[in-house]
Amino acid sequence: MSETTVTPDRPVTVEETETAPGFIGVNVPRKEDRRLVQGEGVFVDDIKRHGMAYVHFVRSPYAHAAITRIDVSKAMEIDGVYGTLIGEEVAAETDPFFQIAPPPGGDLKDYALAVGKVRHVGEPVVAVAAATRELARDAAELVEVDYEPLETIVDPERASEPGAPQLHDEVPNNTIWQGNFDYGDYDAALAEADKVVRIKKLHFHRFSSTPLETSGAVVEYNRGTGQWTLHSNNQFPGFAIIMMAPALRVGMDKLRFVSQDIGGGFGNKICTHVQLVAMCLLARKLNRAVNWTEWRTDQHTANSHGNERVFLDVEVPVKADGTLLGFKARMIDDAGAYIRYEPLGCIIWAQVTPGVYRWRHIRVDFKQVCSNKSPCGPNRGYSRMQHLWFTERVIDIVAQELGLDPVEIRKKNYIRADEMPYETPNGCVYDSGDYERCLDEALKLIDYGSIEEKRRDAESRGKLLGVGIGSTLDSGTNNFGQSTLVNPELQFSGNNEVATVKLDIFGEIVVTLGTTPQGQSHETTAAQVVSDMLKVSPDDVNVRAGHDSYWNSHAGFSGTYASQFAVTGLGAVKGATEMLREQILKIGAAVLGAESTDEVELADGTVRRKDNPEAALPFMACGAIVNANNAVLPLELRDITLNCRYVYVPPHQLPDKERKYGNLTLTYANQIHACVVEVDPETGVYDIVEYGAVDDCGVRINPQIVEGQVQGATAQSIGAATHETFVYDEDGNLLTPNFYDYHVPHALDMPPMKTAYVESASPFTPLGAKGMGEGGGAGLSAVAAALQDALRGSGKPIVTTSSNPYHRVWELLQKPEESRQLVEVEER
Amino acid sequence: MTEPVRGLRIAVDVNGERHERDVEARRLLVHFLRDDLDLTGTHVGCDTGNCGACTVIVDGVALKSCMMLAVQADGSRIETVEGLAPDGELHPLQQAFSSFHALQCGYCTPGMLMSAKHLLDNNPEPTEGEIRRAIQGNICRCTGYVNIVEAIASAAKGGGK
Amino acid sequence: MLLAPVEYARPSTVQDAVRLLSTHDGARPLAGGQTLTNVMKARAAAPDVLVDLNELHELRSISSEGGGLELGAMATLNGVIRSSEVASARPIIAEVAAQIADVQVRNRGTVGGNICSNDPTNHLPPLVTALGATMTVLGSDGERTVPADEFFVGVYMTAVGPGELLTKITVPAADGAGDGFASVPIGKDGTCIVNAAATVKDGQARIVLGCVSATPVVLSAAPDEASVREAVQGAGLDPPSDVHASSDYRRHLAEIVAVRAVEGAQG
Repeated sequence: MSETTVTPDRPVTVEETETAPGFIGVNVPRKEDRRLVQGEGVFVDDIKRHGMAYVHFVRSPYAHAAITRIDVSKAMEIDGVYGTLIGEEVAAETDPFFQIAPPPGGDLKDYALAVGKVRHVGEPVVAVAAATRELARDAAELVEVDYEPLETIVDPERASEPGAPQLHDEVPNNTIWQGNFDYGDYDAALAEADKVVRIKKLHFHRFSSTPLETSGAVVEYNRGTGQWTLHSNNQFPGFAIIMMAPALRVGMDKLRFVSQDIGGGFGNKICTHVQLVAMCLLARKLNRAVNWTEWRTDQHTANSHGNERVFLDVEVPVKADGTLLGFKARMIDDAGAYIRYEPLGCIIWAQVTPGVYRWRHIRVDFKQVCSNKSPCGPNRGYSRMQHLWFTERVIDIVAQELGLDPVEIRKKNYIRADEMPYETPNGCVYDSGDYERCLDEALKLIDYGSIEEKRRDAESRGKLLGVGIGSTLDSGTNNFGQSTLVNPELQFSGNNEVATVKLDIFGEIVVTLGTTPQGQSHETTAAQVVSDMLKVSPDDVNVRAGHDSYWNSHAGFSGTYASQFAVTGLGAVKGATEMLREQILKIGAAVLGAESTDEVELADGTVRRKDNPEAALPFMACGAIVNANNAVLPLELRDITLNCRYVYVPPHQLPDKERKYGNLTLTYANQIHACVVEVDPETGVYDIVEYGAVDDCGVRINPQIVEGQVQGATAQSIGAATHETFVYDEDGNLLTPNFYDYHVPHALDMPPMKTAYVESASPFTPLGAKGMGEGGGAGLSAVAAALQDALRGSGKPIVTTSSNPYHRVWELLQKPEESRQLVEVEER
Repeated sequence: MTEPVRGLRIAVDVNGERHERDVEARRLLVHFLRDDLDLTGTHVGCDTGNCGACTVIVDGVALKSCMMLAVQADGSRIETVEGLAPDGELHPLQQAFSSFHALQCGYCTPGMLMSAKHLLDNNPEPTEGEIRRAIQGNICRCTGYVNIVEAIASAAKGGGK
Repeated sequence: MLLAPVEYARPSTVQDAVRLLSTHDGARPLAGGQTLTNVMKARAAAPDVLVDLNELHELRSISSEGGGLELGAMATLNGVIRSSEVASARPIIAEVAAQIADVQVRNRGTVGGNICSNDPTNHLPPLVTALGATMTVLGSDGERTVPADEFFVGVYMTAVGPGELLTKITVPAADGAGDGFASVPIGKDGTCIVNAAATVKDGQARIVLGCVSATPVVLSAAPDEASVREAVQGAGLDPPSDVHASSDYRRHLAEIVAVRAVEGAQG
């Protein structure tokens, strides 16, 4: 069942060239490091091509405006400017992007450049290509664009009301999608309740993981073959190709995606297919390679924000003993000006409908609207994070209002370890987990027993101390069939990932992956799995760095996203290695005169007889036989190639569209965080003084790598909870467009962070591992809860937002009654 | 040079190798290194001088190369990440970063290493607080800094593994 | 992003620098570059000529005379932090410089640059005003001194006009005064939401508030909490509202940091 492993003082490291029995669960040093620490990684802007043009986008300064005139003639007069691209050309040469949404939301037209109208500040209007970066920038200033500003809509609550400015003619009331989710028997639960807690509004804010490397590409077009090669840092090429090929009116094979190193993605490099189409058109038009490197300001303004979501009229029936029976809520998701991965966010939250809790009666009215803000992308934690924050706020607010202990109420309502696998009210299956155990470990990490003493000490220094818990899940390995629950006409379902493992002529083991890692150490963990199975050292396993669709090591869903590599990617690696292993054993048996493969085994880079280890065939010999000497093999073994390709396909089923019911994800890692804050009541300034994060992602292939993900995800969550917010003014201007105002955690901002791990193996996956990496969102809940606890004595304000910078804390201190107006308890 | 010029022929020593190039006055040092000298290890991560991915050491001083003009580096000795392992043998900091899993995507790493080197060149036995202060100007989105701090501390103690 | 085309000169004498600044319209001095390059990247300013001051070594000197300090305008923040003269004469300057941004910025950023850019959220303008410093400005028609009270004239604007150069900042000896500084930054060593510098001498506090107006706001009060609060409340502050603080919140924070700066000056 569950086994607790507390982080060792120092990670266990295996020395280079050392062979140890079994590499799963060992901190093998990363293969990626050698090139990265020497600055020899290949990121997209490192790639140079002779005669390459640099592209700068002229972007809209307005959030909503008609384009009345574009004149590029002055820009074209500059020596060294190669050409431009405008919306009119894009509309003539491409078709609007395929939309996931059903009509009318899906009828909107989205092109690579603005056509006729702009709908968010920063929307690309004209692309200028020139010989140097500076010239492209200079030329862009000479492009003339006239706009007729239109009224803007930035408030998600008002976007769908009559009279609101309409972004897309095809989409009435700016409503992209709306659906009702009804599970259990909510009305009966309400009738049965002893108390009903009502919360008028909770708000999950806009932010994103802002990877340090911005989006970009070097795109080349081959006029002879009609093939585009895109060196890009797009992290989901499977999706990009499916979107781009129809738009460009070409077959999917005409788009070759190549990447080696990517400087962070966190979901924000999934929807760049839009800009990449503009690049493709320019590369073809100008007959030269084109480089686009996104500016930081543009990334913040116009690339990809995490979904903003408002939860309204929340109603929670509760029993006197603290059992929560269910909840009802209206949810409005603000997707920004265009929907590129949306409206999948309208269903993906349902992977974790009840969060970590056992309530069964749930009624949700979910609406997604568009607004004059940056389009959203599936930022780390995508859609589940928003919903899990909501459930955790509910627990915390209910506990406070009913005077219940926050630890006890969670333990009472958590799904129990002995209930796993657990089927949720909408048919998702949580594979394993021991939430109560994780909570206990988290509380130990922050020394929960001494909290009251610490509270008094803080008080003596004039500070208010608070402690908070955040519980969250990281669901992984999507069933893309869930897309049919937002659009029944779609033909997507299941999932897949590809790997090839081969033995070369000199006995070298070479692995290719379909994924596009941005720091998740795929090369290393893949090597661990292969070396474990073939009984060699990870140093003997060569994993090709990066992704190249030319390798044919990819499938429709290939990419790195959604916490799934340990399941899908490594599942594919395992499958391919098993095939290879079988083939090596067969050769060994044949050559060593054994009756069957049962009489031979792999050891030390050879295949050898079990009864006589001296009789051994090194891998190199196997490679040589198959590639250059295959007449020595019996005829029935001539189909052995030692080059094995495996497609991992998870056992997903088609969900029930009528009931919006079914298993939407394969695995559920979980995280329980706890934190302690100290608030200065004079200013609202606060510090996080203790932080504990417990993660359970099943079997850990490389514990040090898991720890790195936990630390990084937690840091992002702390940043989002404290200072990171994409704030808009009434006119749709983003007020935090760069790192100056959008303050992310620096080294001195980080609280002391302790971690611990529980391993609840998944019964559903090839290695018992679960995907992980998106669980940091628990920090948003833990910080909100800790602040609410700290401020208890100052009028019991309730924390209703995920963003809590100093000024927000100040507001809660000054006017607790304002937040209290948002909550009400009905005694029955 | 007392009259204004649009461009200049500059000579720089980068990692022990001398380079001479004609550059526009407006070219930033980071782009000079990346585009003119093909030393792409130094990275660009922002527009406002906040992220530190472009950190290099010029005449012994760590600075952000996106806030210096290439012409200002004329005659200077510049150290970039490419100079840390001249013969392929990793610098103790590079070894420590790997052992302690102080990098994930690797994008902030060159700048981080140069800040760390600058710290250890001037303060061989830094406290944790001093280490954090030394890398305060280097943003990392992947690691949460925990392992970076431990790696630098370990390299300072003579550990490289 | 990227700079517009610009011309560049690197004089080796102060006289040459002044000559260049006065003979070229649209010429601007380039000190540490920690502010100006970013402004030029955003193309919020596009000078025609950059006059690089980094070879004017005489402007880097830090000297102490009679307990006071003479800081060359090109003294770097790091230079100030490590200076034994500053440590003994007016250590608050080093303390505050150490709170600015990060190592890389402090290695290149200069006291003159921080003062002359006069961003309302900068640290040094309120500090030098509280200390009663005097700025020496050199132009083609000679040298003049401007007390700090008159030096900061508007957002990003100081008494240094086109064709002129700030050459040094003269800080009077402490002479029994205590100095303090308090701020509320966004994150550790980040941009200030509010800041305040205070000097307490002979039972009187001179308090200077930053971030609340176009230029530092000077107040006087007895050095006790109530008096300081009264002085701030009576100052009729109308601070800007932005993403980090509303006008009201900023006004409130100004009161708190003023009190803390005065406490620091006495502590």
